[in-house]
This record gives sequence, structure tokens and C-alpha cells, in this order.
Amino acid sequence: MERVSARDVAAFEALYDAYHRLVFGIGLRMLGDPALAEDVTQTVFLKLWTAPAAFRGGSFVAWVSRVTRNCSLDVLRSRAARPETEIPADLALDGALEDAIFVRLDAQRLRDALATLPIEQRSLIEQGFFAGVTHAELARRTDTPLGTVKTRIRSGLHRLRRALGEQVPG
Amino acid sequence: MSDDSTRAAMLEEVALYALGLLPRDQAALVIAFIANDDEAYAEYRDLSSTADALALTADEPVDSARTARMKERLMARVRADAPRRGPLAARSIAPARGWFVGAGLLAAALVFALITFGQNVSLRSDLATAQRRAGTLQSQLAQSERSGARTRNDLTQTLTDLVSPDARRYEVAQGTVVVRSNRVYFALSQLPALPRGHVYQAWTAAKGSSAMQPSLTFTPNADGVAVVQLPVDADKVGVVAVSVEPDGGSKAPTTTPTFIRPLS
Repeated sequence: MERVSARDVAAFEALYDAYHRLVFGIGLRMLGDPALAEDVTQTVFLKLWTAPAAFRGGSFVAWVSRVTRNCSLDVLRSRAARPETEIPADLALDGALEDAIFVRLDAQRLRDALATLPIEQRSLIEQGFFAGVTHAELARRTDTPLGTVKTRIRSGLHRLRRALGEQVPG
Repeated sequence: MSDDSTRAAMLEEVALYALGLLPRDQAALVIAFIANDDEAYAEYRDLSSTADALALTADEPVDSARTARMKERLMARVRADAPRRGPLAARSIAPARGWFVGAGLLAAALVFALITFGQNVSLRSDLATAQRRAGTLQSQLAQSERSGARTRNDLTQTLTDLVSPDARRYEVAQGTVVVRSNRVYFALSQLPALPRGHVYQAWTAAKGSSAMQPSLTFTPNADGVAVVQLPVDADKVGVVAVSVEPDGGSKAPTTTPTFIRPLS
């Protein structure tokens, strides 16, 4: 990112090559439309190019994922009236899953870890992450009591964390 | 509801926030809780990084034609821009924990707002804005500390009221009216900006009465967010309302109410 801040086009191109699949994939999962996912990808990377200072350190993967989610949420909001949920892109990225661990994780490992969760927890977490809706809407969509949704999400995230910890020790 | 179950309920809210499921008005309250509670902060750190990792499940191959098209489109913009803009200025990297300094200030703002009925409320959900206003908020907090009116326990009580599952919630177009025990709060997040020289004013009507009594005035922050506790006994109130009034408030509403909400 330092080279991108210095307007190094080659460095930016390398960044794109490394992360465009992830950015496009998040956009596609959230929007369900390849054309819109392309637009989101363009928007995210142009933001990277024009405002690299928005990245304040920590895990780049986590940061670019949050930026992509928020960009996709903007698109969802423009298509329908939705409560404004948002992931603060600047939020503490000093969590225990550091960049080095992200590098060692991949989609398959995440899917394997998710598969260890009971279906009722996994489903709510995946829908919550990619659908861009509130927990109240999740409860309505799944016909589940609100309190149950909250408990399952918290329990599921803890369980997922433990599963990831087992897969990627230290 | 016991303290333990209330605390567990608030930690569930932290998990929802980590996954990005809370509407902004509720999220702001959880941010304040996280900023004032070490266990909640640790929980947030753990769960948010786990939630972030979920994004990796979307990392799948993209067909080569699409990849080439997207890259060509993007790089054309970048190459056209590169020579014109030149190197960007160096920047300082803020420590990640710095965000929570902003959140702490947010909490300070919330404390101040809730202890000073009728004054402006500044509930920040934006780091940059929170940092810009740091000096002002610290000054406000110093004032509230001098007044000796509130303690950290009071703040916890207030935040607990607002996010508690056993609170009664009454939806209005601009947010929620929250009632817990005998306390009434407005948690509003979509208030239009006010014309110069005007404020929002709360009104209450006693149970069985249609006569509106003037209550506090308040001004939302730049994001249209305001959280206020009404100086009333919820057990005696049947209806609450808000209208736009001239600075200083009015004895009776002079404009069409922004909302009128029976508490039933």
C-alpha cells in the first residue's frame, strides 16, 4: 500500500491481481448480479487508488472486505429501502486474526470451519454477513424469535472462532 | 431482569454489531458500551475479526474474460490519473485503538447528552468527526464531571435501558421511542436538518389526556442522530410527540408534529 500511495501503477496492478477475486466475490454474493459486482469492484479499487490513506494499517484483507461490503450495502440501499447497517472500515483491525493468519486462511478452510457449525447458526451468520439486513429482518425471514437469532449468532461466531483457531494454530 | 442476564443480552448486541447487523442508532449505543467495558471490547475484537474472515468464503475464481474486462476498465482510469495527480502526501498511521478513543468520546457525548436534559446531543458514529470534536466533547465531559451528576454506573444504566430486550420499543419514522421501567428515551437517527434558529421539541400527553405538555428541546448531530431521555415518568405518559419549534421552544406546538406516538 505504501507504493500505491506513491502512485506506483505497477504496485496497484499487483494489488488488483491479488484481491480482485475476493472483492468481486463479495459483491456477487451480496448483490447476486455480476454486472453490479463488477461496478462494486471498480468502485472499491478506484477508492484504493484515489484515497489510499483510508487504509489505516492492520489487516488489509479485512479492511478491503469491509469496504466492499459497505459499497455493496450502498447498492442494496439504492435498490430498496433498508435500515442502514454498516461496518466501520476503520474499526479496530488489531484483532487476533492478524494479516499473517488471513494469508494462511483460504476459502476452503473457512468453508470447512463453517461446516462445523450447526446449520441454524451457520445459516444465520452467512445470511447476516452477505445479505446486508438487520437481525430483526433475519428473524422475520427465518421465522425465528429475535432472541434466538441473537443467541445463535453470538454462539456461532464463538464456535467459528474456535474452529479457525484449531485450523490455524498460532 | 438480573444484572447477569442484562449483561449477556448486551454482549449479544456486541456480536450483532461485529457481524454488521445493527441499524445505526442501535449500533451507536453498542459502540458506547464497547468503549466503556473491557470485556465487551475483548469480545468485539474477537468476533469482528472472525466475522471479517467470513469474507474469504467469497473468494472464488472469476472467469478470465470478466477479469480481463474489469482490469482493462480499471487500469485505463488509473493510468490516465497517475501522471496528473503525482505522489500523494505522506500520512501518519493512526493506531487501531484510536478508533476507540473516538468511541470513548462518543460515550462521553452520550453521558453528557443524557445528563443535560434539553441540551444538544452529539452521538457520533464516525471516527473522523468524533476526533474533530474531541476537544469539545472533553470540555463537555469536564463540565458534567464538575456537576457530579452522573457516574459510570449511571451511564451503564442508561445504555442498558436502551438496548435491553425487556425495554418496550415504539417505532416512529425517524427511529424508536424506548421505554424501560419508568424511563422514556428517544433514539432517533433520521432527523432532517433544522432551519437556522430552530430546534426539535418533545411533547408529552398524560394518559387519558389529549393536551400536549411542552418537554425538552434538542438538536440532532450532523448525521441526524439524537438520543435523549425525557424528564417524565413513563407510567404517567400516554403519548409522546416531536415538532420543530423556534429556539428556546414553545408552549404549544406551532408546526405539524414530526411524529406523534401513543405509548401503547
